[in-house]
Amino acid sequence: MTTLALRWVHRNLFAKPFDAALSLVIIPMLAWAVYAFAHWALVEAHWQVVGGSFKVLMTGIYPADQLWRAWFSVATLCAMFGAGLGLSVRPGRAASTVVALGVALTGVMVAVAIDVHSGMLAAGSAALGVAAWCGVHHLAADQRIVLSGLLAGVVAIFVVLSPPGFEVWGGLLLSVVLTIAVSILTLPFGILLALGRQSRITSLRVISTAYIETMRSVPLILVVYWIWIIVPLLAPDTSVPGLLRGMAGFALFFAAYVAEYVRSGLQAVPKGQIEAARSLAMSSWTLNVDIVLPQALRVVVPSLVGQILDIFNGATLVFIIGLTDFLRAGQMILADPQNSGRTYEIYVFLFAVYLAIGGAITYASRRLEAHLARGSR
Amino acid sequence: MNAIQIPAAATSREIIVSIISLNKSFGAFHVLKDVDLDVGRGEVVVIIGASGSGKSTLIRCVNGLEMYQSGRLTVDGFSMPTEADRAIGGERELARIRKGVGMVFQQFNLFPHMSAIDNVAIAPIRVRGRKPDEARANALRLLDRVGLRDHAHKLPSQLSGGQQQRVAIARSLAMEPHIMLFDEPTSALDPEMVGEVLDVMRELAREGMTMMIVTHEMGFAREVADRVVYIDHGRILETGTPAEIFDRPTHERTRTFLSRVLRH
Repeated sequence: MTTLALRWVHRNLFAKPFDAALSLVIIPMLAWAVYAFAHWALVEAHWQVVGGSFKVLMTGIYPADQLWRAWFSVATLCAMFGAGLGLSVRPGRAASTVVALGVALTGVMVAVAIDVHSGMLAAGSAALGVAAWCGVHHLAADQRIVLSGLLAGVVAIFVVLSPPGFEVWGGLLLSVVLTIAVSILTLPFGILLALGRQSRITSLRVISTAYIETMRSVPLILVVYWIWIIVPLLAPDTSVPGLLRGMAGFALFFAAYVAEYVRSGLQAVPKGQIEAARSLAMSSWTLNVDIVLPQALRVVVPSLVGQILDIFNGATLVFIIGLTDFLRAGQMILADPQNSGRTYEIYVFLFAVYLAIGGAITYASRRLEAHLARGSR
Repeated sequence: MNAIQIPAAATSREIIVSIISLNKSFGAFHVLKDVDLDVGRGEVVVIIGASGSGKSTLIRCVNGLEMYQSGRLTVDGFSMPTEADRAIGGERELARIRKGVGMVFQQFNLFPHMSAIDNVAIAPIRVRGRKPDEARANALRLLDRVGLRDHAHKLPSQLSGGQQQRVAIARSLAMEPHIMLFDEPTSALDPEMVGEVLDVMRELAREGMTMMIVTHEMGFAREVADRVVYIDHGRILETGTPAEIFDRPTHERTRTFLSRVLRH
């Protein structure tokens, strides 16, 4: 065992003089950094601030007596994530152990940070997600049923969350719901743009190309701000909530990128497929819907899942139109003089949560890619 | 050097494909030059010629996969729109013609995301408006006919080349075509799989299906063809019964071509 370890160290860290020198500099530096951080995190940091402002971080100024709506959303989101995972990833023994530990840990952490009631709700939501994962996988559920279930989940979240008004949505919940809604909205719009760009009808082709290229050459923040300003001008009598305006801006912007992904997928479909469909007298509609798009989308699903991460990270920009997303909620807490010394705690927490969610999305995208590469051809 | 026309009327058959002085070019490259050809109902016409002679292009014109610039092409009584017509529409005539014309490709071109049975059933459902249950039942019958009933639920990637090509034939037959086009159906196959595909085609010919076949399988051509057409540099040089073409070719070029392909 020790010889094996020694050999590993020799091969990977001290194989050549330069490696050895590098290792001698980097390893102590890393060790020091890890030690310093661990010392701060475990000894000096006052994590109570996170627990104390957990509700604000997660939901912003959502009314406290309506929090069951937020919990409903958490549970639904967990179930949706589990179901989505169930389509592509097998719940193996190692994975189940990790997930079971994760569920327990989530419950304990939330219970310690806030109260036992919340801890149980959090653990329950996570367990629901695991159940959905195993359920979908074992039943080998039809993709179409699962996908319409996911869509129904999003609608349910909107219906349940909206009664207190869109203005009070905030925190991580806002970031996540915005990300999911925008991801779904961009898909049909992006597909239409991609098809439009390839259309034989010149006006459609020019408009689609102009739209895509314009959106791709301006910054996201500009589009979001612009939509926010222009909607009241177009509809002066109705007041469209800032959240919906923000979502529209995001969807219009990211649809252009979806269109480009889809276009690359369309180009990957062999010409013979189109000829075969044409020789069977299929109309352009059938040809696209039944033959070309299923093959094209399969190629781009990993990129589209990866783009969800771009949208989630981009969602931090909604503060410019006055919305309180996760990052903004953290800053709001720091604005309270009583928490002024807790800057590092809050930002480390934000960092950890963003890293965890981003990591989960990246992992899902990789697994999906491997799954699709195996299943197709 | 104009085409020697053997009228299909010689066998007193109804003409189903009529091609009159068809011209087709890819840009500056003149692929088909004043091609005249009639195909009668139930006739099996095999088109032979060196690669690049335009034989694939000719049958691809018959279902509108290639556009032609001048001449006249009627299929099943419908006239095929020319390139100029198609620039301003003509999709409906095209779809009407294609419903009656089946096509089998060199590379099979099965839909890779569908099982064999769905490959066969999709066009009847979407194009002819058949009920899914009926279409799938019929698809199963067709797969049985090409000897693939047991493979109905496999994806194309799980089938051998010969099996894929037989599914492709069943897929075309599901649209109940009046004429079947075969574009080098066995050229992409391993030698041991050529036979199973030719068997299916032989069976079709025996049942009276009208067929236009581009192939390099000369033995098969001699056996099933009612007429053999030799194309050279975009022109029909010679047309005749298999015996006439293979045993007594009148043109020097035909003789050279045959001596090259029959040597193996």
